[in-house]
Parts: sequence; structure tokens; C-alpha cells
Amino acid sequence: MTELPMTHDVLTERAPAKRSVNFITVLAALILASMALIFGLGLRHQQQTQPTEGMAPLFTLQTLDGQEIALEALRGQVVVINFWASWCGPCRDEAAELEAAWQQYKDKDVIFLGIAYTDTERNAQAYLKEFGITYPNGLDYKTKISAQYRITGVPETFIVDRQGHISEFVMTPLKRVQLSAMIERALAKGTQP
Amino acid sequence: MNRLLKIGVMLLCLAIALSAVTLSAFAQDDPRRPVTDDEVNAVSKKLYCPVCENITLDTCGTLACAQWREEVRILLSEGKTPEQVIENFVMRFGDRVVGTPADPTLRALALITPWLLSALVLLATGAVFLRWRKERPAAAPSAPEAKAATSVRTFAEYRARIEADLAARR
Amino acid sequence: MLAELGFIATFLAFVAALYAAGIALYSVRRRDERLLLSARNAALATLPLLSVSLGALLIALLTEQYQIAYVWNVTDPNTPTFYRVTALWGAQAGSLLFWSGIMSAFAFGTIALNWQAQRRLMPYVIVYTMLILASFLALSLFFENPFERYWIMPDNSVAKSVFAFGGAVPPAAARLAETANGLNPLLRHFGMIVHPPLLYMGFVGFLIPFAFAMAALASGDLSTNWIRATRRWTLLAWLSLSLGLVLGGRWAYDVLGWGGWWGWDPVENAAFLPWLLGTAFLHSVMIQEKRGMLKVWNMFLILGTFSAVIFGTFATRSGLVDSVHSFARSAIGFPLFFFWFSISAISLGMLLWRWRRGELRDERRLHGLLSRESLFVLNNIVFVMLFIAVFWGSFGAPIFSELFMGTTITLGKDYFLQVTPPLFLALFILMGIAPLSAWSATTLVRLGRALIVPALLAALVVALLALMQPTEPLVLLIYGVIALSGTVALWETVRGAAARHKTLGEQWHTALMALVARNRRRYGGYLIHLSIAVLGIGALGSELYQQETQRTLAVGQSLKLGGYVMRYDGFLGGQIADDGRIMDIAQVTVLRDGREIAQLRPRRDFYPNAEGMNTMTIPAAHSTLENDFYVLLVDWEPISAGSATFKVFINPLINLIWWGSLLLVFGTLIGMYPDERVALAAAGAAQPSRLAGVKA
Repeated sequence: MTELPMTHDVLTERAPAKRSVNFITVLAALILASMALIFGLGLRHQQQTQPTEGMAPLFTLQTLDGQEIALEALRGQVVVINFWASWCGPCRDEAAELEAAWQQYKDKDVIFLGIAYTDTERNAQAYLKEFGITYPNGLDYKTKISAQYRITGVPETFIVDRQGHISEFVMTPLKRVQLSAMIERALAKGTQP
Repeated sequence: MNRLLKIGVMLLCLAIALSAVTLSAFAQDDPRRPVTDDEVNAVSKKLYCPVCENITLDTCGTLACAQWREEVRILLSEGKTPEQVIENFVMRFGDRVVGTPADPTLRALALITPWLLSALVLLATGAVFLRWRKERPAAAPSAPEAKAATSVRTFAEYRARIEADLAARR
Repeated sequence: MLAELGFIATFLAFVAALYAAGIALYSVRRRDERLLLSARNAALATLPLLSVSLGALLIALLTEQYQIAYVWNVTDPNTPTFYRVTALWGAQAGSLLFWSGIMSAFAFGTIALNWQAQRRLMPYVIVYTMLILASFLALSLFFENPFERYWIMPDNSVAKSVFAFGGAVPPAAARLAETANGLNPLLRHFGMIVHPPLLYMGFVGFLIPFAFAMAALASGDLSTNWIRATRRWTLLAWLSLSLGLVLGGRWAYDVLGWGGWWGWDPVENAAFLPWLLGTAFLHSVMIQEKRGMLKVWNMFLILGTFSAVIFGTFATRSGLVDSVHSFARSAIGFPLFFFWFSISAISLGMLLWRWRRGELRDERRLHGLLSRESLFVLNNIVFVMLFIAVFWGSFGAPIFSELFMGTTITLGKDYFLQVTPPLFLALFILMGIAPLSAWSATTLVRLGRALIVPALLAALVVALLALMQPTEPLVLLIYGVIALSGTVALWETVRGAAARHKTLGEQWHTALMALVARNRRRYGGYLIHLSIAVLGIGALGSELYQQETQRTLAVGQSLKLGGYVMRYDGFLGGQIADDGRIMDIAQVTVLRDGREIAQLRPRRDFYPNAEGMNTMTIPAAHSTLENDFYVLLVDWEPISAGSATFKVFINPLINLIWWGSLLLVFGTLIGMYPDERVALAAAGAAQPSRLAGVKA
């Protein structure tokens, strides 16, 4: 039921200016489309998990002894990348196991890299000293490396084969036997093209 | 006797001066001043630890946050100002540790964009409003005289409009 | 049996909703009344069906059916009955089903109550409400099914499904019971019984005006019928959402232990966004009802409000952004995203279609700049600007920077408190002026004259506040503006009652009640404005002048803060409560000017069975209108008689927030209550409602 009385204004008016309706239509469509794009992409980005195949994301690690190690430069070796933190309980469980595995493989074309996530130098050094860890470790400057590997917590370990591809990924604390098996698998792959 | 006394006093002064120098060197090895919880909290309020989701450092109970607070305490005790402490954390851990990004581009992105968008909204509304006011003077002058004379005509127009609308709906 | 019953009832509700939507649409094309009634009955049937499925889940929770994965996830043998009930919405799957239940209740209500008055719109209302209900039920059935049970398969693996298959055997009951998760300790608070239901009622409630708006667009009945029909539904939704937000704040104040009540967390903001647009909508529909203007804008607003509701639930449940409130990540993200996009695109499309056909024409034009219409339009603009600011800070900027600039950023309280205060201030200024301006035109002089008494009253309030607490002049001015918005409302009410008292000779209280009864909308609205002013003063005071300190004390020692002294008197450790938690209680005494004013017992609760977060610090506070003296134990430091670390806050004026929200409830209820109908003098006015529509 339309309201009465109709005023003079309305009877003399025209239909809404086509130009402004078109403009609003385009604008509204643009806004909706860009929101859909951003949030669709954002959701997809959020749902991405750790990389388990393909080229391992490249990074340069500043170690706590002042060295600079580039992942790219380690081509030809198997690399064990372990994300840890001094405040992380399960990391402490696997620390000794990792060091033992390192001692076993250090002369066999394998290198271990430890990356400390949101840790302070003081606490990281204390942790390394406590477990007598001898392989290179560095702080994750600006949490860039952990973002590249999309870790969701610590500890997380990635095995990179000789060609620089991610061979395996484990989210739980490792035992030495398990780690050895993973390294052997990666070493075996090395001979294939 | 007086001369000996004078030499003795000078030597004493020299000894004190020397020991002051060496002792102050020791003081620099341990410059920590006591830092109160309140000072640590004042800085921690402005920091966000990535381990806890979206809560400030002063209210987070995890071990990681406890370590960070300890780090804040140590930096403050070394004489850094609160701003320097925050800068230090941003340098080490990135822009995500503060509530508004420190990096100028990101900061602009965060703070200026809503005002830009709002300005667009205001402009759009202003434009619509102006268009309405432009249309009004055209109608107003004709209204008083037109009303009386065209009341009959208006009704006929009205009826014609209704017929047209109804026809359009079929 | 409960799982099967629940699942089948949910599935039937899903089928009924689809049927209702389809047949209703078909009935319009065929103009078949019988088909429409069939659709109506199917739509009505969704409520009893979903009551059965929610009932089944509730009984499963109360009778400890741990084989059902949801029950195992949110309760354990030690959970008290109160929390077993609230566990119904304690995690993703249950809360989704609960949401659908509330939706079917609202749909039931509107179909039952509005059927006669809005016959032309109802078929489409059924279509839209049932389609949206079906979408949410699909999410429950296919993605987050609360009725899945654990089974042990022949190969000793564990499987999750509703029905047994392939030799599956239920796991041992005892084993299930001892490994059950239990409710997250943070959720064990009184607020759990009211905060989620109120929030969901708020969100879902906006479905009704949305469905009516869409029905108006679909049917072509683009007058104000759809607005008149849904005014009370909108008010109910708005009230629930407002209360849900305030209660959420109270809950955060009680358990999160940071002395504040609103953290600008993305999930909090996700609930605030629809509130902003919904409040704008509430105001601008008044313009359409009174002046026939802003028809297109109102459509955009209600579409935007509902789109914000769906977006909020998408953002919260998909884990799009980091938050304390996050549900566990699940597969529900993409389905919800597509659902949000479809709803928004379809509704926008229909609106634009009708607009281009010239069917949404305004009946009048904006005249004076200070007229009530213009001020309402300004009010809408400010709400939209607030929406943009909050949306950008919670969702836009973080995602944009992560996608396109490769860095994660956090936009916290600092950002929001830089961007929103000017906008809130603008809102309070408008709240002060708009009730005094008239429709069509107002002059500056007239407005100024009307403001004199309210301004004096506001100055009185400001003087009182200044006496309580040393305040800077600028802040006093802002207090004044906020107070003005409340005193304007108060004064208008008093003036109206005074007029009745003078001319009709009524007693003051009779005059007041009669005044309100004749125009409940207006005076309810004034009371709401007053409550928002009270809330605003409380929020400002507690935000700007909060004092805090943290000290470690041994028994017998004291700390000082802001004129108060707090003495640590004693320690009661290892107290065991009914539900198995272990409490460490500190007894403290608060003194002011040497006098003891309170004995408080902040404590730390330890939940031995909970995974992850298993301690909670429960604060104790001495609350007065002037401030809260708020004490909590820092639970990551040692707590004993020898030393305990206390964090103490003084939150000035914070109780105004809770009292203000009570006033808000009262005001909204007054506004919703039907006005007395003036008796129709004409005979044969026996059936006014069918023809005239429901009187607003």
C-alpha cells in the first residue's frame, strides 16, 4: 500500500539518474569482488600447511657463532632443519637425540641446522650449552624462516635432500632411530637425478 | 712536617682518585639497576608475543612470554629507555610484536587507509546531497502557483502513472 | 540411539527446510494457496525437529555418552552439570547446531506471528529463511557433525562416524571416560550460559529483517511494510547482540585477568561489526517510516548487516585471523566463505535490479541541513566510517599485509584507540542534537535554545566527575559531550511529563507513565540514549584513568596504589572444590585512609585433568560506583604464604558500564512494547489488523 498523499516533488521527478545507478552498481560489484578476492586468498593462505614437497624455501641463517649459512650453498648435502625453542618442553626431549644423530652423520654429507623460534640469544645459548649441541644453530631473525616454512609450533623438523627438495617433514619430537631412517632415505635419493 | 703532611694528603688524594677510576670500571661490569614489575609491565603492555594469539606480553602466562619479560627487564636494567626496548624487539622479531607496525609503509597502510576510505564515503554522500539540493530549487518555485492550478491535472497524472505501473507488471 | 536420533532429526529438518523453500517459491508462480500452506508447515516443522536433535545432544551430554565424539571433546566425568548444559555450545559442532536451532525458532516465530499481516511477503520470507537455515544445517550435517561417534575398527584403528559399519565396535566406556577432554577452563564461567546464546540470538535475529527485505525485493512490495513488520524483530536482535557484547566484556573482565573488558580482538570485532550496521539500520528505518526516504540506503544497510553477520561467523569459525576466541581449525572455512559470498552477491544483485527498474524511489527530499533526516544520515555515515575502521583493523590490514607485503602485522588496541575515538565522539554529539531537531527543518537558534537546560545538567555531571578524580580540561569537555547526549534524552522526557502535569493536572508519576505509554518508541529510545551515555562515561573513565601496579608480597606486607593500601593477610593453599579443581586462595584486606573497606580473596584455580591451559587466575574486586579495586594473583609466579605476586588495578567508573547496560535492556523493552491502540470509533472496525497491517 503506497503512502498518500503523494507530494508534488515526486510527480515531477524522473526515474533515478541512470548514471548514478550504474556508478553505484559498478562500485558495489567492485567492492564485493575485491573483498571476495582478498578473503578467499587470505583463507587459502591461512589453510596452507608446512611444505612437504618441492623446493625447500631458501634462507640465510646467522648462526650464534657469527657464521652465515645459506641453504642454497648446501646443495649436494642432506640438510636436517630443526625448528626449536628454549621454552619448548618437547624440544628438550629430542635435543639429546638430535645431537647423537649429528655425531653419527656429520662426516657423511649431512648437515644439521637448528633454528630458534622467537628465542632470545641468552636463553638459546644456555639451551645449547645444556645439551652440548655442536651443530650450527641460529636465531630466526624477524621470524622470517618460520614463516617461510609455515610452522605451526615447535619442534618441527624438515629433511632436505641433496637437490634441495623437501624430502620429509615431522611435527613431533624425534627419536634417533627414526631420524636415522629419514636421513638414510634422503641420502639414498641423492644418487637419482 | 707540614711539607710531609701536604705530600701525604696529595698521595692520599691520588690514591682515592685512582681507586675511583678502577672501581668505576667494576661498576660498569654490573650496571644493573633494580627494575620494578611496573616498569616491565609498562613496556610489555605494548608488545605482543607471537606464541600467544593476540594478547599482550604482560598478560600471557607461557614460558616464552616469561622469557621475553625477563629480556625486557634485563634491557631496562641496562639503561635502555622503553622506546629503545621496543625498537630492539621489533628489530629482532619483526613488526608483528607491536600493536601498530613500526615500519612506515605498513604503518601508513594500517592507519591511513580507513580515513581514506571514509573520506570517499563522505565525498559520495556529499555528492548525492548536492544533487538533491540542486533538484529542489527547480521544484520549489513552481510549487505554490502550480499546486492550486494543477490539482486536477495532478490527479489525472497520478492515475495515468498507476495505470502505467500496473501495465508494466503484467 | 541418541546419536542416530539426533542425526536423523537434523537431516529431516534439512530436508524440510529445502522443501519449504522450494515449494514456497513454486507456490508463488502457480498462485497455489495449498502449496504455500504445505511449505509453511514444513518451515514450522523445522523447529520441533531441531528441538529433538538439540535435545538428543543435550541428553547425551548430561548422561555422559562419551562415545559421541562431541561429548568426549567438551566434557569429562568431573564436569559439573551446569557446564554440561553449556557444553552444548562449547565447541564448533555443537554451537553450529545450536545456531541452526535458534534460527529455526526465529523463523517459526515470524511465520506464526506475521503470517496474516504480511501475506504478500510471507512466501518469499519462507524461501529466504529456509534456504539460509538449510545452508547452516548442511554445514552441520556434512562438515561439523556433532553426532559422530568413535568406533574401533577390526584393524584396531579408530574411526569417527554416526552409524556403525564394517565390523565397528564401540570403544570401552571406561577408557573413553578417563581420556575425555573436558571443557576449556576459560569457558567455566557463569557467562557461558548467557553470552553465546545472546550473541547467537543477536546474529540470527537479523535474519528476519533481512529475509523480509529480500522478500520485499523479490515480491515488488517495496513500501515500508517490510520495515513495519520487522521492527520488533530488529529490536530483539539488537538488544540480544548488545547484551551479548556487554556480557562478553564482563566475562573478559572477570577471567582474562588484564583488568579490561574489551580487547579489540578480531572475534570481538566480528561481533561488533554487525552491531554497528544494525544500529545504523535501526535509526535510518525511522526515516523511511516517517518520511519515505532512504529506501535504497536501508536496503543496503540491512544487506550489509546480515552480510557482516555471516562474515563474522566465517572469520571466527575458519580461523582466518589469530584470536583468543578461535575455534579449532576445520574444513568449514571454504564452505562458509562461499556461503557468505553467495548471500552477499545474490542480495546485492536483487537490490540493484529493483533499483535500476526505478522501483525504489524516495517520496521526499532532504531539506534543512539540521533537520532530523540530515542528522540521521550523518549518524549513518559515522557508523559506516566506524565499520570501515574496525573492519580494516581486524581483517583488512592483517590479511592484506600478509598476502601482498609478505609480513604479518598485529593491529591491537593502540590502532583502534587511535582511529575510533573521534568517530565515537561524533556519534555522541549527534545523539545530543538529533532528538532536539525536527523533521524537515530546524534552525540553529531553535536548536541552541533547546540545548540550554541539558547543557547545564551536563555541566553538573561533569563537575561531579571532576570532583571524583583529577581530570584534564579536554577530557572534561568530552565527558560533557557524552553527558549531554544523556541529559538531552532525560530533559525531553521530563519536559513531556511536565507538560502533561501542567495541562492535564496529572501527578508526576502518572504523567510520566502516560507519556511513555503514548509513545513507547520515542521514550524507550531516549532511555537507550541515556544508557549509552552512562556506558560511554564508564568506558572513557576506566580506559583513561586506570591505575595498575604489580608487587610481590609476603604475608603481612602491603602495597599502595592511588590512595588505597592493600595488605596480604593470609594464604589458603590446596583447597579442593567440588569439580576437582585445586584452589590457592590469597586473603587480602583493602584499606583507604586507614579504614578497612574490603576483604578480598583472589585465587588461582588449577584443573588437574585439563590439557594445555590448566590454570586460571580468578580476580577479586571491591566494586563501587566510583571505581573497582581489582586484585588478581599472577599465576605464573609462585604463590605461597612466603610470597605471592599481586597485580592490582583501580578502574574508575567501570561499574557504570554494567549499570548502563541494565538501563539499555529496560529502554529496549519499553521501545518494543506495543503502543496502546486508539479505539476506532467506526463500527465494523472489528478486523482492523488484516487490512491495516500491524501497527508499529
